[in-house]
Amino acid sequence: MHIPDGYLGPQTYLPAWGVMAPLWSWASARLKRTLSVRRLPMMALAAAFTFVVMMFNVPLPGGTSGHAVGSVLVAVLLGPWAAVVAVSLALAVQALLFGDGGITALGANCLTMAVVMPFAGWWTYRLLAGSSPAGSRRRWVAAAAGGYVGVNAAALVTGVLLGIQPLIARDPSGRPLYCPFGLGVAVPAMAVSHLLVIGFVEAAVTALALAYLARTEPGLALADQTAEGPSSRGLRRLGLSVAALALLSPLSLVLVARFGGGTAWGEWSAGELSRLTGYLPSGFQRLSSLWRAPLPDYGPPGAEGVSVVAQGVWYVVSAALGVAAIGAAVLVLRRLFTRKERDGHAA
Amino acid sequence: MATLPEWLRPGARPVSLLPQRATAHRLLRRTLGAMGRSISLLVREPDGPGVGALRTADPRAKLLAAVGLIVATTFLRGLLPLAACLALALALSAAAKVPGRRLLPVMIAVPLASTALLLPATLNIVSGGPPLLVLWRSAGGAFGPWRLPEVVAVTADGLLVAGRMVLRTTACAALALLLAATTRPQRLLGGLRSLGVPQAFVMVLAMAERYLAVLLRSAQELHLARLARSVAPIGVRREEAWAAAGVGAVFRRTRSLADAVTLAMVSRGFTGEVRLLRPACWRRTDWLLVAAAAAVAAGLLILDRRLA
Amino acid sequence: MSGSQGETVFAVEAVRFAYAGQPLCLDGVSFDVRRGERLALVGANGSGKSTLLHLLNGLFFPGEGRIAYLGSPLTEAVLDAAPFGPRFRQEVGFLFQNSDAQLFCPTVEDELAFGPLQMGWTQAEVFRRIEDTLALLEISRLRGRFPAGLSAGEKKRVALASLLVLAPSVLLLDEPTAGLDPRSQSLLLEILEALHTRGLTLVTATHDLTLLPHLADRVLVLSEEHRLVADGEPEPVLADTEMLLAVNLIHAHSHRHGRLVHTHPHQHVVAHEHVHGHHHEHEDQAEPKK
Ligand SMILES: Nc1ncnc2c1ncn2[C@@H]1O[C@H](COP(=O)(O)OP(=O)(O)OP(=O)(O)O)[C@@H](O)[C@H]1O
Ligand SMILES: [Mg+2]
Repeated sequence: MHIPDGYLGPQTYLPAWGVMAPLWSWASARLKRTLSVRRLPMMALAAAFTFVVMMFNVPLPGGTSGHAVGSVLVAVLLGPWAAVVAVSLALAVQALLFGDGGITALGANCLTMAVVMPFAGWWTYRLLAGSSPAGSRRRWVAAAAGGYVGVNAAALVTGVLLGIQPLIARDPSGRPLYCPFGLGVAVPAMAVSHLLVIGFVEAAVTALALAYLARTEPGLALADQTAEGPSSRGLRRLGLSVAALALLSPLSLVLVARFGGGTAWGEWSAGELSRLTGYLPSGFQRLSSLWRAPLPDYGPPGAEGVSVVAQGVWYVVSAALGVAAIGAAVLVLRRLFTRKERDGHAA
Repeated sequence: MATLPEWLRPGARPVSLLPQRATAHRLLRRTLGAMGRSISLLVREPDGPGVGALRTADPRAKLLAAVGLIVATTFLRGLLPLAACLALALALSAAAKVPGRRLLPVMIAVPLASTALLLPATLNIVSGGPPLLVLWRSAGGAFGPWRLPEVVAVTADGLLVAGRMVLRTTACAALALLLAATTRPQRLLGGLRSLGVPQAFVMVLAMAERYLAVLLRSAQELHLARLARSVAPIGVRREEAWAAAGVGAVFRRTRSLADAVTLAMVSRGFTGEVRLLRPACWRRTDWLLVAAAAAVAAGLLILDRRLA
Repeated sequence: MSGSQGETVFAVEAVRFAYAGQPLCLDGVSFDVRRGERLALVGANGSGKSTLLHLLNGLFFPGEGRIAYLGSPLTEAVLDAAPFGPRFRQEVGFLFQNSDAQLFCPTVEDELAFGPLQMGWTQAEVFRRIEDTLALLEISRLRGRFPAGLSAGEKKRVALASLLVLAPSVLLLDEPTAGLDPRSQSLLLEILEALHTRGLTLVTATHDLTLLPHLADRVLVLSEEHRLVADGEPEPVLADTEMLLAVNLIHAHSHRHGRLVHTHPHQHVVAHEHVHGHHHEHEDQAEPKK
């Protein structure tokens, strides 16, 4: 989900920085109020923790592997504002200190992974968890749902950020300057890969890590049981709408089938874009997810006479059929890539 | 000492229940490799004297120069200026003696991945435009429910769009790597400190970076212990459970360390207000570096607009 | 050094302490620490040594009983107040058991600068102190290094330097020699010896009985029931095998010294093999040259 430098134009990444700046200062002001200032190290350690979570690889069906982002877990454990700071710092460490790139896109990456993701996840979790005790099954399920919704909401926003590039930045002859794949490609590609695969990784890691902590540490205090989490009704309502939006994202499939038919060719690759993370090795490990290319021009013949639902069904079916063709290509590329990387290290 | 059970005594016969097929734990090893690389980047020793002028430049100057160049790169449109930018980054990397084992993976992986991603953008179906190289021609019509395109072809427009993206992402990655590879993280933090970033933020970032090494080591230990004890794959479900338990264990370490660090800071007089050492003054060479970077960025932008 | 020889530095009276939601971990502990004294706290794992040092450093506060520093009770309010708090932090240094927790700054130089900067000293003064302290502990070459990349012995020395740079008059040391190789151990002991001769008060928690004679003139023993069970000079305390067995500090067993195997139901108080000449000036503590 990390967007590298070069995929977003200044028209997008500068406003993203603009949105993040007040959010960061608000988050740190909030933390100062709710946590004692002496708890500065907790922020630092939480950032380091988030970075380490991203290094835990989990195998995915189909022989590849992926990793969780961990924002929702941090939000559940320390509160969503703490997650904003911790995940932003982790991304900053990656981009700046490790040279993994994504320096101009840092604002946008923070927006998706350090704001949208923890808050969407947190609100879902709060709604479902209620006031159940820390080790209970309900909380466990709520955390899983939080992880799933959080990562999907972030993926949706990433897809939108990428997808608007060809609309807002073109050269004088009308060619896209940045990410060339439009909304009709980028959004469903991000949505499907996360809805079908990556969302479950995040859900599993969030819920199981929480279950592990509750089991090994009976006195565990979660963010919503301390004073650190927000709980006002307005926030909750806003959270509800974000969660609903995330859950409704499959609808975009149908919408795309209706309006975005002509551009289907690029979809498999935009799906890969989602995993072209700031640091590529782990990005490429996840290359073959379940989202593969639909056959070209999937609209059923005589599209005028066919209902939107039927078109959506065709869309999904064609996506499934595309798996074989593009899967082979992706696998070959992956092979090529891993060998190249090994050579690179040997050199 | 308690007496040893018979199966622990020397000469006991091993149980022959081991799986017949020893699997290579590729995923574990890959994760361990990535962790090891991260740790070694974090704890890398100070560079020897005289290894490239770029290394000794002030981190603030380098930070400004690199970020400025990266931002300028995101504004470029023409293939030539983008290629010039990439060439500059590579030339500087060579001059600063950035080790090949750091440069090569990035310089192979980034263009390769971008190319793979952007290949479809070269086709008429995505980018439109007159065909340059026809890949596939059919009578059109339908295949089952699908309409087939009559022509699938690489177009000049498509090549330009994809080429631009590949060059730009590669150049940005090379510049970011150049900055990170020639500046130790600790020094880079000093650079941030003097560029007006709030001290508390720099302190937290520095501490995050400091304890990343510690947490990565404990995660590495978990993976090593796992590697040492496992002989066969355990399935996706249990892998997930294992990773989650690992994440939980790292979190406990995170929290106990945070508590201990807080006490250590309080013990040395920390009351909530962050005070850090003032960094050294700017030297003339540092100004020169920033000015040169600004000039190059401006030159590239002007060239870009001229060519457009 | 501030203060006169023999004055009471810490007065600990009937202190009981428990971590939140945990059983008692100090149960009615009372003792005094006098200026210039070298005190050792010994006890089995989990007996509460580290906890007691945290209480002495004003990081935790006793549930019952009281602790006074130079006559003023240590409470949260007193430590947060302006003249006393910073002065206490400057005068009492605490070497943590976990060096990783203690070294939280990006470089060794920043680490040493942290305390002085909190005290509000000028940058020039801070730099001067850093230079002198690094020279004193012979770690000038580590100045720009990253703490995570240091060896255990180097970490301990840097941690000690970060305390000494504040010119403390009391040092609380939690397992200072644990995990160090014999050479690093003897180096550290030499430094502590020199500091002691300069009048510093040292309170050391340890379970390494072999080092006791080098670390302390007085020994306090904490039992596994978290009570003080002995208070006296090292020789008689170490000779009290029955008491040491009772607090699980030693164990009747057989073990091997070189080629000699022998069984003995008492502690292994082996002569420390790395005794160096005693130096009474810091400046001439040279590292053994290879
Ligand atoms: N932060 C904490 N929260 C809760 N309990 C703690 C905490 N720190 C220590 N304890 C408990 O308090 C008791 C005393 O611990 P303490 O660390 O003081 O022992 P110690 O004598 O220093 O042991 P060691 O020799 O292992 O360092 C132990 O039972 C320990 O589990
Ligand atoms: Mg201890």
